[in-house]
Amino acid sequence: MSLKSENKRAYYIVSLIVIIILAILFTFPLYWILTGAFKTAKEINSTSPVWWPSKFVTDNFVKLFSKRSAPLFEIGALRGPTVPGAIRWLLNTVVMAVVAMILTCITAAMAGYALAKKRFAGKGTLFALIVCAMALPKQVILIPLIREMSTLGLYDKLWAVIFPTVGWPFGVFLMKQFSEGVPNEMIEAARIDGAGEARTFAQVIVPMIKPGIGALAIFTFINSWNDYFMQLIMLSKSSNLTISLGIATLQAENSTDFGIIMAGAALASVPIIIVFLIFQKYFTKGITMGAVKG
Amino acid sequence: MKKLSILLLILMVMTAVFAGGAKEEAAAGKSISLWTYPIGGWGDEAQVKALTDAFTAETGIKVEVQYLTYSDGDDKVNTAIAAKQAPDLIMEGPERLVAGWGASGYMVDMSDLLDAEDRAELNPATLSACLTADGKFYEYPLVMTAHCMAINLDAFKAAGADKYLDLKNRTWTTDNFIKAVDALYKYYKVPVGAVYCSGQGGDQGTRVLVNSLYGGTFTNAEHTKYTWDSPENIKALKQLYAMPGIVYDPAINGGEEINLFRNGTFKMAFCWNIAQQLTGDRTDAGEEIVFMSFPAQNGVAQLNGGIWGFGIFDNGNADKIAWAKQFVKFMCDGPKTADAVKTAQYFAVRDKADGKDISKIWADNKIMNDYNVLMKFLGDYYQVTKGWPTARTCWWNMLQSVGAGNDVTASVAKFAADANAAAAAAK
Amino acid sequence: MAQNSPTAITRRLRRKETISSYLFLLPSLVFFLGFVVFPMVLCLFTSFFDSNLNATTPDRFIGFQNYTELWKDPVFLKGLKNTLIIVVVSVPVVTAFSLWIASAIYKMKEWMLSAFRCIFYLPVVTGSVAVTVVWKWMYNNYYGVLNYVFKGLGIIETNINWLGNPSTALWCIIVILLTTSVGQPIVLYVSALSNVDPTLIEAGQVDGTTKLQNFWKIKWPQIMPTTLYIVVITTINSFQCFALIQLLTSGGPNNATQTVMYYIYYTAFKLYRFGYGNAMGIILALFIAALSAVQFYAAKER
Repeated sequence: MSLKSENKRAYYIVSLIVIIILAILFTFPLYWILTGAFKTAKEINSTSPVWWPSKFVTDNFVKLFSKRSAPLFEIGALRGPTVPGAIRWLLNTVVMAVVAMILTCITAAMAGYALAKKRFAGKGTLFALIVCAMALPKQVILIPLIREMSTLGLYDKLWAVIFPTVGWPFGVFLMKQFSEGVPNEMIEAARIDGAGEARTFAQVIVPMIKPGIGALAIFTFINSWNDYFMQLIMLSKSSNLTISLGIATLQAENSTDFGIIMAGAALASVPIIIVFLIFQKYFTKGITMGAVKG
Repeated sequence: MKKLSILLLILMVMTAVFAGGAKEEAAAGKSISLWTYPIGGWGDEAQVKALTDAFTAETGIKVEVQYLTYSDGDDKVNTAIAAKQAPDLIMEGPERLVAGWGASGYMVDMSDLLDAEDRAELNPATLSACLTADGKFYEYPLVMTAHCMAINLDAFKAAGADKYLDLKNRTWTTDNFIKAVDALYKYYKVPVGAVYCSGQGGDQGTRVLVNSLYGGTFTNAEHTKYTWDSPENIKALKQLYAMPGIVYDPAINGGEEINLFRNGTFKMAFCWNIAQQLTGDRTDAGEEIVFMSFPAQNGVAQLNGGIWGFGIFDNGNADKIAWAKQFVKFMCDGPKTADAVKTAQYFAVRDKADGKDISKIWADNKIMNDYNVLMKFLGDYYQVTKGWPTARTCWWNMLQSVGAGNDVTASVAKFAADANAAAAAAK
Repeated sequence: MAQNSPTAITRRLRRKETISSYLFLLPSLVFFLGFVVFPMVLCLFTSFFDSNLNATTPDRFIGFQNYTELWKDPVFLKGLKNTLIIVVVSVPVVTAFSLWIASAIYKMKEWMLSAFRCIFYLPVVTGSVAVTVVWKWMYNNYYGVLNYVFKGLGIIETNINWLGNPSTALWCIIVILLTTSVGQPIVLYVSALSNVDPTLIEAGQVDGTTKLQNFWKIKWPQIMPTTLYIVVITTINSFQCFALIQLLTSGGPNNATQTVMYYIYYTAFKLYRFGYGNAMGIILALFIAALSAVQFYAAKER
């Protein structure tokens, strides 16, 4: 018995050590970006790793903010005050991710409910289509999508990135899983009370699947923020760029300034990490609820 | 419900403000768009703004500038072309403007900007690179240079390899190059230079290095066929592969090579030119960087030139094309030509612009003056050969294949054949 | 009178339900059909043409020529093979890895559990561009931290050019993909494991089963739905590795990290062959649809 518990203890300790090593590896990129943003060019370019900046310098941020400028916003001919390009890019990224998130949540929740709880002609086909399209990488439709956006006059507008994100059917699939968990009796009861379709949805379904919507919201926000490919393809004008694209345009001919890249990467990742840390409780709760019913 | 409507309201306001707000064209009056690659100071907003502001002040035409990079700039332009949203003006070299987008039929012929006086003033080799075989003028050149290589002189001295250099003429022979690399390798025991080939970035360096070692060429003189499958080039590729001091590195491009050169890892850089030298002539550790011609058997390499200027995309708007032409004239043969050239940090392609002498604009700059020793080695500008974009891609794929240890002759034959197929198809 | 017969009423109710269903589906369908299905149809259409960037030569109908060429294109076949390797390797590894981490941490104190959950989710949130920049430096041949550490520990003698060596490059990409994929599966497994009915485990212990038997007989079936879901999302994730390839290797060296996703992009914007790229897209889409269908029906069987 004692041997067994000793073994168990040894196993526990070994696995804990391995996990801590892995945890360090997983935290490393963020650590390196955050410290790198404050290093001098020499330290960043150094042939032996500089683990901690000898002195925290803000040169990289100064360069990042001074290299480009753009109006804060543009509505028709009305332009906001001129600000550093990085600020506008950050704002663009936030707007893009938030709009994509809201649109996805609304449309997916409605569609998921219909797919889970209603009977209608064409349901099987539609669901099969959704399942098949879920894993499709966007590179497949790269060329037609560019042409379509150009025809619609949406090329080089944030919409061109937002719409395909909203159209991606994973959200609908997820919301269907959640809606299936809502007991049919509750829907029946609402109907007997004389609630119409819209009210049933808003007052019965939505409160029940709220954690799921929360999870989808965070999920879409992160995905859209990080969807480098769509941004690369669809956005081109300097003032329309997102933060990760914008940083890439700061490179000079035939040389890479890693300092600016680090500063930009820090600027791009810190907001989203904060959002994640604030909402992570809901997120964990939300994604687990949907999956268990898998 | 209340929450939802607030949400929707926020959504509407936000999208009105940002996502749909790019409709300034109608309101802003005369305006053209310029996309520029980072050609010296033409990648720097403050310097470019000074030039475009001067243009706007004189003509009332606004210029909206966008800055591209060499890593994804081509993809950006191609996407924009596919989306029919190409810019009005673009600044780069004939390899893209003439052989690429020009040959594909997207550029405006600017022959009307070129009078007899311009033809006389412009450097003839440069002018011919900007003209197609049938006389279409797709690029108005502004500046040019010769691409070269650089060495870490202090490292060479430490390894006793500086005796292989002709520092006065900035030349060296192939034999001396091999000896110098060996000496450096013996001293440092790690590779001291790289045939970088992760992509096309800085590929002019690897092209000239391979071509000049044993007198090979990249294309034939008529610019109709790629000749890098010749015995001279194969010999050079094998020689470089056999040298322990040189690595074929498919993980880095020219820009990354320069970073590694500046931080002291490499003792020589093949991706170099005057702009790099002006940026800084010392490594991070303070060692002296000296620009050199590429090694050749007799010491006289055929350097590859760089030409930069403006081209106009044909977006079907006659007004914009006319305004863009005004801009081109203003920058390349107008009151601001001297500033435009200085901003690019290269040499002017003409001695007189707008009747004024601009041949002395770099007179007070020692590095620019020193660099003139290399300008006389400037060779053929072959980057306008048909099928150039594909040939370029084939080149670095070929280097990767050779670097992976595949048979050199077979690799070269395969990719050269692909490049020539593209050249034939483009006719 | 016939209008009120029972069948007519059901029919009318059905029609009413169908209409209301589609009203609920409408907003989502607009986006799904407009920006996923419609481009897909266009993609299929263009794949029968010789279509390129050239303004002077119009698109030319060439039937199945693009498709027949595909099977003779060694780069495409290599890309297809690598794409399959990435999916076939990363799906089971991510599943097993996250199950192991989850089972090691799910009994920990709440704050520790929470901390580990966040840490393993960090690479997802940090963003692929940022993470890639750091990994590129870590893999660097000349001064990367990986060579530095391995050489310090005496594991390797000379520097390894991780991304420049055809035999290591693809695995380097897969490692990064793993770090950006395990976040969600760990969260899911932690909660699935803590939801396993404790009475079942106690019953198993009374029967005298070993720990391993206990796991396979009792826990594994209980977390099966979670596992299936994880397999689905990891498959989706594995096909989204474009940014990694584009930013790290551009498909090189020597096509060692070529994938169909990147080759489509390359064909379109480096070789300017739109029709050919679209044909590749169609083949890839068929593969993925088949894979999804198999996974989905496997899930339904359960």
